[in-house]
Amino acid sequence: MQSMNTNNVDYEHDRGLAKDFLANFADVHGEAKYMNILQDVANRKSRAIQIDLEDLFNYKESDDEFVRKVTENTKRYIGIFADAVDELMPESTEPFVDDDHDILMTQRSEEGTENADGSDLLQKMPAEIKRFYEVYIHASSKERPYTIREVKASYIGQLVRISGIVTRCSDVKPLMQVAVYTCEDCGFEIYQEVTARIFMPLFECPSKRCKTNNSKGNLILQLRASKFLKFQEAKIQELAEHVPKGHIPRSMTIHLKGELTRKIAPGDVVELSGIFLPIPYTGFRAMRAGLVADTYLEAMSVTHFKRKYEEYELRSEEEEHIARLAEDGEIYNKLSRSLAPEIFGHEDVKKALLLLLCGAPHRKLKDGMQIRGDVHICLMGDPGVAKSQLLKHIINVAPRGVYTTGRGSSGVGLTAAVQRDPVTNEMVLEGGALVLADMGICAIDEFDKMEESDRTAIHEVMEQQTVSIAKAGITTSLNARTAVLAAANPAWGRYDLRRTPAENINLPPALLSRFDLLWLILDKADMDTDLELARHVVYVHQNKESPALGFTPLEPSVLRAYIASARKVSPSVPRELEEYIASAYSSIRQEEARSDTPNSYTTIRTLLSILRLSAALARLRFSSIVEQSDVDEALRLMQMSKFSLYSDDRQKSGLDAISDIYSILRDEAARTNRMDISYAHALNWISRKGYSEAQLKECLEEYATLNVWQIHPNTFDIRFIDT
Amino acid sequence: MVGLPYDCLANPLGAVRLTFDKAVSSGLNPSTSNGGDWGSADLFRQFLFDDGGHSQVPILNAESVKHLPPNSLVRFRGMIQDMLGNEVYVGAYKDGSTWRTNKFSDVSQIEMDMSPDMKLWERRLLYCVPVPGLNSWAEPLEALSNQQKTFPSEQREKRPRDDDEAVDHMELGSSQGCQDSPITKKMRDEAHPSSSAMQQDMVNEGTTPFFGSPESERNSFPCLVKIYDTPESDLKMNEIFEFIGVLSFDPELALSKDESDMQSNDLFEDDLVQLPPSKVPRIHCLVHKKLVVHDFVDGSAMAESNPSLIRGTRESLLSHLTAVLGNDGMAAQFLLLHLLSQVHARVDGVPVGKLALNFTNFSKETTSVFGSQLSSTMKELIPFTQKISLTIEYLNNAALAPKKDYQANKLVSGVLQLAEGSHLIIDETELQAGTLNPMGVENARSLKNLTESQQVEYDFQYYKMEMTADVQLLVLSEGKSNILPADVVLPFQPSSTSPPEIVEEAIVQSWRWYLANLRSLSHSITPEMQKVVEEDLVAARQADRSLGSQDFSRLLTMSRLMSLSFGETSLSMEHWQMVKELERLRKERLR
Repeated sequence: MQSMNTNNVDYEHDRGLAKDFLANFADVHGEAKYMNILQDVANRKSRAIQIDLEDLFNYKESDDEFVRKVTENTKRYIGIFADAVDELMPESTEPFVDDDHDILMTQRSEEGTENADGSDLLQKMPAEIKRFYEVYIHASSKERPYTIREVKASYIGQLVRISGIVTRCSDVKPLMQVAVYTCEDCGFEIYQEVTARIFMPLFECPSKRCKTNNSKGNLILQLRASKFLKFQEAKIQELAEHVPKGHIPRSMTIHLKGELTRKIAPGDVVELSGIFLPIPYTGFRAMRAGLVADTYLEAMSVTHFKRKYEEYELRSEEEEHIARLAEDGEIYNKLSRSLAPEIFGHEDVKKALLLLLCGAPHRKLKDGMQIRGDVHICLMGDPGVAKSQLLKHIINVAPRGVYTTGRGSSGVGLTAAVQRDPVTNEMVLEGGALVLADMGICAIDEFDKMEESDRTAIHEVMEQQTVSIAKAGITTSLNARTAVLAAANPAWGRYDLRRTPAENINLPPALLSRFDLLWLILDKADMDTDLELARHVVYVHQNKESPALGFTPLEPSVLRAYIASARKVSPSVPRELEEYIASAYSSIRQEEARSDTPNSYTTIRTLLSILRLSAALARLRFSSIVEQSDVDEALRLMQMSKFSLYSDDRQKSGLDAISDIYSILRDEAARTNRMDISYAHALNWISRKGYSEAQLKECLEEYATLNVWQIHPNTFDIRFIDT
Repeated sequence: MVGLPYDCLANPLGAVRLTFDKAVSSGLNPSTSNGGDWGSADLFRQFLFDDGGHSQVPILNAESVKHLPPNSLVRFRGMIQDMLGNEVYVGAYKDGSTWRTNKFSDVSQIEMDMSPDMKLWERRLLYCVPVPGLNSWAEPLEALSNQQKTFPSEQREKRPRDDDEAVDHMELGSSQGCQDSPITKKMRDEAHPSSSAMQQDMVNEGTTPFFGSPESERNSFPCLVKIYDTPESDLKMNEIFEFIGVLSFDPELALSKDESDMQSNDLFEDDLVQLPPSKVPRIHCLVHKKLVVHDFVDGSAMAESNPSLIRGTRESLLSHLTAVLGNDGMAAQFLLLHLLSQVHARVDGVPVGKLALNFTNFSKETTSVFGSQLSSTMKELIPFTQKISLTIEYLNNAALAPKKDYQANKLVSGVLQLAEGSHLIIDETELQAGTLNPMGVENARSLKNLTESQQVEYDFQYYKMEMTADVQLLVLSEGKSNILPADVVLPFQPSSTSPPEIVEEAIVQSWRWYLANLRSLSHSITPEMQKVVEEDLVAARQADRSLGSQDFSRLLTMSRLMSLSFGETSLSMEHWQMVKELERLRKERLR
């Protein structure tokens, strides 16, 4: 502070600016924002005066220079603003009960006049003791917060905004701000402002009377009259995603004072704005180790991070990017391919996973019944087909995702448990992975190896989306509005083709029917994929990188932003489509009734699944209306998922693939009463029946030579030749 | 050294200050500088590497720290075990009207007042430990001769008296130097008595395990290295460096520790209180150099390498390994490839180039013979080796993955925190049926993760961070190990138990050189060969559906290593055939 004297004039001027700003700043509604706050403070409704740097920036009267000075020498300017507040503080308009502090203050101001010994600094009442409010300055929240390692020595004294995870918190303790003594001899009240953590108490009365009498008056510290501030210390650590590879997360000490105490707990992900300051060493240590200074952040504001889609805020450039993407017709493919781009193939699985991320809107019926919008998917397959990788990638993309295994490592398991708190010995309810993933995605690996107790509870989670618990006198129900993405191995470790799917899938039908889609990922053999695989591996070994994907995958952050904005749309099914969906559903039912496979599980849940998937598809288009193409795609995905299970059945069904494809296309053309079928349409239909594109092409060629139809040379559209 | 105005060895700070004064007089303004290098690094680099000063710098270790004078130039070889973050210090301050600097030191030359002309700069703190599992032959030898130069051995016997001479010695160096204020002089004088006190400390507390290290490494000698002017990305966790810098310990700082206990601010102590300077010396790093495996191997024996020499070395090493493995030639072939393996790339998080080896058919009896032979051979050949005997009890209690201790604000090391290029033998033969507790499950998972993806998850309590590793894993087990799914599983079939012959040191050295150098050769496959390989792989998969990308990857890794073992950088048909044959024989044995 010594050096400040020279600049006093400036500070005087700046106090004027501060005063002007507080008195005249008007927010968007034209309200005098800060005067309202001051009135609240005067009425003892609140203690905190939070000055937003952004307001200061927007205030027309203040120049950039002033804002810069406030950012770079924040601690000093808090004092200046506090002085300005003192001058502006209005009279209270509401009566309030005097507390100790007020009574003391009244007494002091009465005594003050008679005892005024103005010349003595220590006898002058510091402004601090009169204040019953605290001033905070918030950093602008427009820019990205710093990571802890970005805060360098050059930021000392400045206002910075950082993000991190709280690792440790101390208890809240009183911190002396103004020590008040009374002198045994002269009876004067002596004030001592405390600015550091440690202070040297006064022992001799410094008042003029004692000095002239040379009586060395004994001072007694008056705890009730002194001013204390709530004080809490915390440590925050860098978030995992901010730590460069091969480094250890950094941490930083945080000091929280007054109203900011008790706002954080270990484990919280927070964004803090505060002043980066060195701790001045005191006493002996300062002399010896004066070289090194510990640093800390004096918190000015604390914000908890939001990690839900609904609260995801887009930046303007993100918004533009998404708008551009949405106009692209290929967005569905582009997004799905960008999910786990390093995993080769599995296009349909990825599409399904994209729909899971997107979800459908929750519906609440008039009678209070709720229909879930979350899409549940189960991936089943041979070990080593990258199921876990897919799961982990999805969790990475989802803003709120929990990855766990069926045999969850904690005693709480998947749902919830009542446990005895080791400290208080009380029974406490602890949520499991599904509860933690509320409003997000819960990926459960090794689903088949789940504990029996969890398996019963998961039925409820997947349909009612709650976890009910009645144990140890606690009866309650927790929300678990989560989309379940499960991965399971077949019953005997590997899929056994000689057994039926039902035997291979080691899960009860009641649980299976709750999944909207069930995929079987098998490690199948054919020359092309083998060569593809061999090439890939050789390439990786040669070039030390993955072969180019043929497209640039979208960044996970873009995916996240796109999905977040898609989730804001709430599409509905138009009346004309209802009939179409109903007939599609009934035809699936009939088909199943006709077939002799005993393992059918098409139920009314399937119909809901179709609706959910269609709605999710409409969301991806940012459309509020579900179209027929959405329903077609939903049906195709469902069919594909079924064929991944029963693919071997069709080989037994007599008809060879080529003629079967022909009959499918012919029936379709007859149904719609048209002579043309677009290639995309044809592909959709035949793949629903479990045929590949190669087979379709073969069929097209073969029948074209028979002059049954003509194929457009470029688009491959089909035109039947009238006979 | 006489010609120089300062002695870089004995008074490096003098040299630093001189360069600072020079820089200031030629226009450097400390009040706007952020403490960036002003030429001292170049000076020391020149002294060390161009003027041959490097070999004269004494090595800092548990032995030498007892008599190395403070504020002298020292060398320390170590692995970065933990990063303690930044430290803000008063970098430059005004003494009257002249600027002075505190860079590269813990205490200031003269007492400072709090003044506005104080510039705060920052430095990074790294907590370094000697390379885990470093074998004695790989320790730098020059240190000894150098120590003897500084402190002739007859003087060492009367240690306490030595101090005066050490001071004299230093005065000699620094009196020619620049400012020698009375205070620094006094400080140095004071420093000395406590150096013997420190010695006492070391003796008394020698039995207590040092901070951060697992108990097995009692003799470990940690060091706190303070880094200036180096981009963060240059120094990563678990990398090995040679740090050359100013040794610093301040007895007064150590004293003030007691005081800080008195006024300890509840939970939040000064981080460094945990690391008293009496136990952990500080080095203010002037120059650092990254070390890899072949920096630990004496290369003079093989300075000139030609193909036939490499072939010869390969043959002799292979026959030695065969002898060690009881005449199992195939096992020796695989072992050779395994010893050359290295993670040379990571593609989408999957390591490329590793070849973890699992010898099965090991029983308790065979382990006692071949297991110990193997591990002693590894110790001879590879600079850093470790061995773990897995038991249920070990799995349930050991700390394998490092874990952050927020109470002490340090990263508690685990057995799996290993330097790049370490060799790890895991003996599974002792493993009995039993129940794993949560710790055991976690440990088993860590081991699996290490073998499969060469990664160790460091536990930061609120989240885990994956750290990449590059460890050669050799697993000895009765049946195929499930905890450690190695790349190559080979049933071990010894036919004799005669111990291998004793080999000359020179030959062992050539083997070390061979293993350390060939593994880092670059390697490629010609387009023609690529085609052959691809076709062979597809044909193999058509014949055996169970082959997957992992098997392909293994074959390619083996072919690379096979080429490298002959010192060749391009895959030839011959070597590819050898790999296929080796794989075929292995498959046969597995049946």
